[in-house]
Amino acid sequence: MELILTTAGSYPRIGDAPELQRHRQAYAQRERGEIGEEAFRKVEDEATAEAIREQIEAGIDLVTDGQIRWYDPYSHLARGLEGIEINGLLRLFDTNCYFRQPVVKGRVRRKGPILLREYEFARSVSSRPVKPVLTGPYTLARGSILGGGYGSVRALASAYTEVLAEEVSGLSRAGAPLIQLDEPAILHHPEDLNLLEEALVVLARARGTARLALHTSFGDVAPLYRDLQALPVDVLGLDFTYSPKLPALIADAGSQKVLALGVIDARNTKLETAERVFPILDTVLPALKASQAYLTPSCGLEFLPRDRARQKLETLKRLRDEYLGGRS
Amino acid sequence: MSRQKLKRLGLDLPLLPTSTVGSFPKTPELAAARTKYARKQITKRELEALEKKATEFWIRTQEEIGLDVLVDGEQYRGDMVAHFAEIMAGFQTGGLVRSYGNRYYHKPVIVGEVKWPGPMTVSWWQWTQALTDKPVKGMLTGPYTVMDWSFNDYYPDRKSACLALAREIRKEVEALIEAGAKIIQIDEPAISVRQEEFPFAIEAMHLTVDGLPAYFITHACYGAFETIYPDMLDLPVDNLDLAISNSALDLLKIFEKDPFTKDLSLGVLDVHSHRIEAPAEIGARIMRGVRVLPPDRIWVDPDCGLKTRTVEESRGKLEAMLVAVRRIREDLALTP
Repeated sequence: MELILTTAGSYPRIGDAPELQRHRQAYAQRERGEIGEEAFRKVEDEATAEAIREQIEAGIDLVTDGQIRWYDPYSHLARGLEGIEINGLLRLFDTNCYFRQPVVKGRVRRKGPILLREYEFARSVSSRPVKPVLTGPYTLARGSILGGGYGSVRALASAYTEVLAEEVSGLSRAGAPLIQLDEPAILHHPEDLNLLEEALVVLARARGTARLALHTSFGDVAPLYRDLQALPVDVLGLDFTYSPKLPALIADAGSQKVLALGVIDARNTKLETAERVFPILDTVLPALKASQAYLTPSCGLEFLPRDRARQKLETLKRLRDEYLGGRS
Repeated sequence: MSRQKLKRLGLDLPLLPTSTVGSFPKTPELAAARTKYARKQITKRELEALEKKATEFWIRTQEEIGLDVLVDGEQYRGDMVAHFAEIMAGFQTGGLVRSYGNRYYHKPVIVGEVKWPGPMTVSWWQWTQALTDKPVKGMLTGPYTVMDWSFNDYYPDRKSACLALAREIRKEVEALIEAGAKIIQIDEPAISVRQEEFPFAIEAMHLTVDGLPAYFITHACYGAFETIYPDMLDLPVDNLDLAISNSALDLLKIFEKDPFTKDLSLGVLDVHSHRIEAPAEIGARIMRGVRVLPPDRIWVDPDCGLKTRTVEESRGKLEAMLVAVRRIREDLALTP
């Protein structure tokens, strides 16, 4: 069994040491009008390169750009679209973080590629392959305020699907080997599974040579696990921190898909041990059809302080190596 | 009903008692002093003197406005969890994490057994209560919220961390009661974030308050009602404080299905808006409650702490609220 290490999205953009505060300072300077957009983008580039370097140094095989440029999982994409305004703050699921809610005012259209330049930059500073991460159309629609002629979550999800299909297609043509779609909202609205499926069918058609990964977090995936197996994606990313029953469920149901096992808690500082992680791997891995699986934090690492995020990745690497070493 | 409990505690409150959720804005003088203190330009003692001055200012202001149940205004507090985490044993200050945009905060980490360090809020409560004849609420953050807003390196899981905190916070509740506090508010803004954890959030509140002689209020946040009603009626407190200013919630419909069994604090001012609401508008919000519950079970307050408003906005909003409440009290007195 090949166990590939990957991150699940965001990475902390600043650390506690003064030299790691550059991004925060530049952000404030830009808000005060002391530096321009171009100077700020340069700082974002540097912070992105650092986030990638830390992931690689920690031993991650497939990195992300850390989503350093994302204000939050919703408004970053929404800002790249026509027909949408950005509203006030709302709590992001069960976290202590907030996102700005998109308000749909008119026809949703892409102004141009949203993530392509970011992906290309990340790849240019990374010695390892880079995985683009997008919030999926269903979750975007669930988190938006309907309007602009879109009268239902289905209608809006369908509009977002069209524009994100262009994104997926562009990222695939640019060489992304795997594209991750985050759809946490489905865990809270299992009744909308058909909406998610409709969206994924379109995105799967647009994926070209890239593989598609569906990642869910911020809730218990166990009740939906069997349904997710039927969706047209190549990889399923699962958060193991919510449900003690998930490993046994997978052992029982098996998996037709490659799994990304979120066995490292990206929401809490406590570092995982072999006693905690190995039993999950022992239970899950024999049930998998594929000869590879990904090991990953349960979600983006931005919920942790920077030094602890890095330690989590180092822990992931150490546990993977020990696990494979003990079994070869 | 809880009116009898209030009477037993020696509290004679008017119909539709008015109060606030806890925080008031720092006075400009205190805000400047806090910056100076952070830069080590003034001493702790100098800062404390200004915190007391600001607290007294808010007590006088609340009296002038005519509020019935007062708060100390939390002039000495920053964050509602970090404040307790800094004092209690078992916590460490964590590294910076982002909350949104460019806002970062130090999220506390539980690194050992949590322990009550002796009275944490009692001396402030005593000092404030001595300034006024009106009752001043004791103000605590509940165990579930302290757990949820902290990292946990020590306890095996979230539940055991939450219950351990509850046992320690209970000691603070006892100390407040011992000092003479009769109304104690235990805030649980995080309580609705994970529905599957609600049973142990309730268990924790039992551990915190069961058998203790005070009138307990719990403030939850916007959205809580939709998520965990009617389960939230299982919280062993006398009064649930709910934000309704921004919500089109049909209380009548909800209560028809599952009758509301406690006293209800109606959060009728939108604290996140600069606008001073008109008394008629506030009155309409109060009437949404009065139409569905006996008025002697309703309290009136803003929908959250006022700390993000200015001193003038806070005052203006509360004055409008009192105009609305007085009108409704008169109307209710006229209708038999």
